[in-house]
Amino acid sequence: MEERLYDLIFIARPATPEEEIKKVLSGIEHTCAEKGGKIEKTEYWGTRKLAYRVAKHREGIYVYQQIRTNHGELIAELERRLRVQDVVIKYLTVRLDEDLKRQKKLMGKREQRAARRPRRTPPAPPAPAAPEQTAAAS
Amino acid sequence: MAEEQKQAQAPSGAPRREGGSGGHGGPRREGGPGGGGPGGPGGRPRGKRQYFRKKKVCKFCVEKMDFIDYKRADILSQFVQERGKILPRRMTGVCSRHQRWLGVAIKRARNIALMPFAGSAAGTQAPRPVAAAVEAPKA
Repeated sequence: MEERLYDLIFIARPATPEEEIKKVLSGIEHTCAEKGGKIEKTEYWGTRKLAYRVAKHREGIYVYQQIRTNHGELIAELERRLRVQDVVIKYLTVRLDEDLKRQKKLMGKREQRAARRPRRTPPAPPAPAAPEQTAAAS
Repeated sequence: MAEEQKQAQAPSGAPRREGGSGGHGGPRREGGPGGGGPGGPGGRPRGKRQYFRKKKVCKFCVEKMDFIDYKRADILSQFVQERGKILPRRMTGVCSRHQRWLGVAIKRARNIALMPFAGSAAGTQAPRPVAAAVEAPKA
C-alpha cells in the first residue's frame, strides 16, 4: 500500500497546562511508533478563538500535526485515543495525499501548457477563429 | 442650411415625441419589469448591462492555486457571508472547479471551529462582548 499523508488537528481546553498537551503529543507519538507511522510536522498554533462554542469553551489551544503512514488503522486508533482524552475537546483528521497529488498533477499540466504557450496559442487560435466566424455569418 | 433643417424638424419633432411618449409610455413601463420586449426597451437593457457587467475573475485562478487549504481561514472567510454562509459563485466570480474545492475546504474548517457554521455566528458573536465584559472586571 502506498503511503498516505494525513492532517491531524486537535483542540485542547484553553486552560490546559503545557505538560498535559505534551502528554497527549507523546501519546500520539507512541501510537504512531506502534502502528507504523511517522510524524512529519508538529505545529503549535497556540490559543485561538473558536468560531463557535465547543464544550462550553470559546477559545482553544490548537495543535497541528502531519502524519505519514501506510496503515489506515493508525488513524482510527489515534481518533479513538483523542476521543477518550479529557483535555482534547475537538479533533480532525483529513487525508491530504490525494489533494496534493491532484495539485501536483495540475501544476505539471500548467507548466506544460506554459511551456507550449509561446509557440502555439498566439498564432493558431485567432487565425482559424476569425475565418470561421465570417463564414458562419455569411 | 443645417440649422434651418434642425429648426424645421424641432417644432415638428417635438409634438411627435410627446405624442409618442404618451402613447408608448404605458406599454414600455409594463415591458420593463417584464424582462425586456423588443424595440423601445432594447435601449434600456444595454444601459443596464453596462452598469451590471463587471468582469469577475476567479481569484484562485488568478493566483494559480491548485489546492485550497482549509487551515487558512483568512482566505476562506472572504467567500463566506457574515453569518458563515458560503457565498454563491455568481457573487464572487469563483470558477466552478474552485468553488467545489472551496466548499470542501470551508466545511472542513467549520468542523475544526476555524469557521462558523451558518447561523451559529450570530449566536456566538452576540454573547462574545458580554463574556469579555464579564471577564474584564474580574481581571
